[in-house]
Amino acid sequence: MSATLPPPAPAEEMVERLERMWQSRPGVIGWLMTTDHKRVGLLYFWTTLALFGAGGVEALLVRTQLIRPDNHLVSPSTYDELFTVHGMTMIFFFIIPMTTGAFGNYLLPLMIGARDMAFPRMNALSFWVFLGSAIFLYVSLFMGLAPNAGWFDYVPLASRKFDPGPNIDFYCLAIIFNSIASTLTVANFITTIFKLRAPGMSFNRMPLFCFAFLAASFGLLFALPPLTADTVFLFADRNLGFHFFDAAHGGAALLWQHLFWIFGHPEVYILIVPAFGIATEIIPAFTQRRVVAFPLVAIAELLVVFIGFGVWAHHMFAVGMPTIVVVFFSAATAVVVVPSTIQVFAWCMTFVTGNARFKTPLLFIAGFIFMFVAGGLTGIMFLAVPFDQQVTDTYFVVAHFHYIIFGAAVFPIFGGIYFWVPKVTGKLYFELPGQISFWIIFLGTNLLFFPMHLVGLEGMPRRIYTYPSGLGWSSTNLAETIGAYVTGVGILLLFANLVWSYFRGAPAGPDPWHGATLEWTISSPPPEYNFAVIPKVSSAYANWDVADREEDRRKLAAGALVLEQGHEQPVSSPIDGWFSEIVEMPHDSPWPILLALALSLVFTCLVIHKYVVAGVMVVLLGLVLAGWHNAEPETQ
Amino acid sequence: MSASDYVAGGKSERLVPRTTDARNAREASALARRRHGPSPAMWGMAMLVATEATLFGAFIGTYYYLRFKSPQWPPVGTPEPRVVVPLILVGVLATTSVPMQLAAFAARAGRLAATRAFLALALVVQCGYFAYEIHDLVDQLHRSQPQDNAYSSIYYMLLGADHAHVAVGLLLNLWLLGKLTTGLTMYRLNATQVIAFYWHAVNLLTLLVIGTLLSASV
Repeated sequence: MSATLPPPAPAEEMVERLERMWQSRPGVIGWLMTTDHKRVGLLYFWTTLALFGAGGVEALLVRTQLIRPDNHLVSPSTYDELFTVHGMTMIFFFIIPMTTGAFGNYLLPLMIGARDMAFPRMNALSFWVFLGSAIFLYVSLFMGLAPNAGWFDYVPLASRKFDPGPNIDFYCLAIIFNSIASTLTVANFITTIFKLRAPGMSFNRMPLFCFAFLAASFGLLFALPPLTADTVFLFADRNLGFHFFDAAHGGAALLWQHLFWIFGHPEVYILIVPAFGIATEIIPAFTQRRVVAFPLVAIAELLVVFIGFGVWAHHMFAVGMPTIVVVFFSAATAVVVVPSTIQVFAWCMTFVTGNARFKTPLLFIAGFIFMFVAGGLTGIMFLAVPFDQQVTDTYFVVAHFHYIIFGAAVFPIFGGIYFWVPKVTGKLYFELPGQISFWIIFLGTNLLFFPMHLVGLEGMPRRIYTYPSGLGWSSTNLAETIGAYVTGVGILLLFANLVWSYFRGAPAGPDPWHGATLEWTISSPPPEYNFAVIPKVSSAYANWDVADREEDRRKLAAGALVLEQGHEQPVSSPIDGWFSEIVEMPHDSPWPILLALALSLVFTCLVIHKYVVAGVMVVLLGLVLAGWHNAEPETQ
Repeated sequence: MSASDYVAGGKSERLVPRTTDARNAREASALARRRHGPSPAMWGMAMLVATEATLFGAFIGTYYYLRFKSPQWPPVGTPEPRVVVPLILVGVLATTSVPMQLAAFAARAGRLAATRAFLALALVVQCGYFAYEIHDLVDQLHRSQPQDNAYSSIYYMLLGADHAHVAVGLLLNLWLLGKLTTGLTMYRLNATQVIAFYWHAVNLLTLLVIGTLLSASV
């Protein structure tokens, strides 16, 4: 089934040469200078995991503060920082970098039969910039100066007048800093998907996972600039005396909300579409069946993000917009249901018509579909404008978006971790504790988030610091907090299982699930060059095409298409996947981390208002860029 | 179906062009001509242009959002923008797309001297444009400041963002001319095409930005 059998004699020498070519430097230096997409993916994974832990602790503190009426566990100002940084962390520093940074980086090149990303050094740069932005945000938290106006940071609350400290400056700069990393990643993904697919992988033969990541990448590419504009305006308003949001000088406070949600709503789909992609890989593997309605699902994945750009103002129904605007956005919100529903039906039909084996990853996907439908149904309720105006800024909204973000984005991430960790470590996780962890997390999250619907309908506002007794909110809040801790236990069990499997797990072999895509054709963990021979692809389920894999082995034996004369990578035509060029890929490089360091200095100078020094740092950044581009790949 | 069916033009896999094979300008040019479609480098630049264009879209959207919320635009006491001189200047800048594209064609044809000459010609005009614009910006700042009102804030934000993009383009051209002093390689050929594309985008954005800003006088 796989091409990982020992290569036949004539090819051995070529594969050895390939190994030498792609070998990383040993030790820590190798990690600091790496351009290997798998290593960058792992760096992203560990970093985002740590940030997930931090965001989780913040959530537990928030929940513990709300455990009973009139509680004063943390001070009100700390509470503001906790829920703001919790939101920022989970969205910008956990889910986006976990899906795009970790899953995307590690798996995309493997799934399309490439040896690396299109721009390997830029990929490394995106990680180091991301790490810089995460440190930047968390330094502010430990100094007690963290953003404190909620993750959507509405003005005028966030203006200098009402929030005089540096908290919101950290918000603006951390968001811009983080957006740079995301933009680098997604530009890389789009180019990689269009140009580096294995010969024969025309667009319609690309795995659905890649369609999902393509959709998320386009979404981020076009959604982040409005947010950047918004935060630049706010920074200029606060620190340079501009008047974008200041009504007294012709500005408009609602401008912030429009620009924020032009980013913010596509962002919701950007969070969950990669999770759809993960689901569309796990379901075929555990049902041994091709996904029902492949083209429809592929189009739906792209369409959900596209339509997602046209619905932003449904976050603003309560601010007093003209009726025609409200009606338009209400209708647009109804339309976005269609592509989402297409996917749900396709997944369910694949379950029903396939031979489902409910191993842990598939359990998480089943849980995901349940949570997504539940969160989606409450989402549809918001397009009824009077209802929306009634529950805006209550816990009902909190319940809705946690069903979507935890249920529909994080559940597939957990399922995906179980699914692909055997590929990464070469060891199988333990099945029974895995299934137990699913049930604990599933029950915990429902106990945590379902009562929020009720308490929201009863009028409990979101972001409230504490509440008096006698409002009927006490027992529901207690249940939610218990649910939060139960969920935490389940998540700890999940990672304990994976860590334990690394030391004691059974060897996974190249293909433990009889998976559908190309990553299962190579050894676990994959070699640094990924594919000894550039694979042939003639369907979206390449690992199930026995004849093609046979041909790969024949080609390897004959030494054809090994491409071992350098860091070589085939380039294909963007739509049809015609093999059109062989390019040289960059080696390990110290420049990405240096550039990220220079950029961190720029942002540090900006937050302490040393603009001239920041300018000097920009010059330094330019010098690093010049150094980076001094050597040319073809002459290395 | 044999694997060679997937090679562009139906050739054998062994005939697929290898970037590393280009050792001089002639070979680089020959390789570039055999290439199908834009290079990954061009895709990368297209991504940058797409995201920057969206940023400018957000800026320009903000301009009109603020404009339609205001009873008077520009507000009383703020001078209207001049029309004729900026229009002439932006026209001059737009014409540099021609030498930039000619430089890209010359690089693709492997003609080093012509590439350098077109680049230098474009750079001289672009530098002239930039110098005048900075002089003009300083001059305007004597009459109104971004701190005056929302109109001035978005006016200077748009203008400043556009000037920054022109400045980056100047640096790119300078860097490219420096690289080209020691001959033409595949890498430099790609760079010429990509930087020419960047300049087309910047010129178009400048037209849109200046057009937006001048609309206050119409």
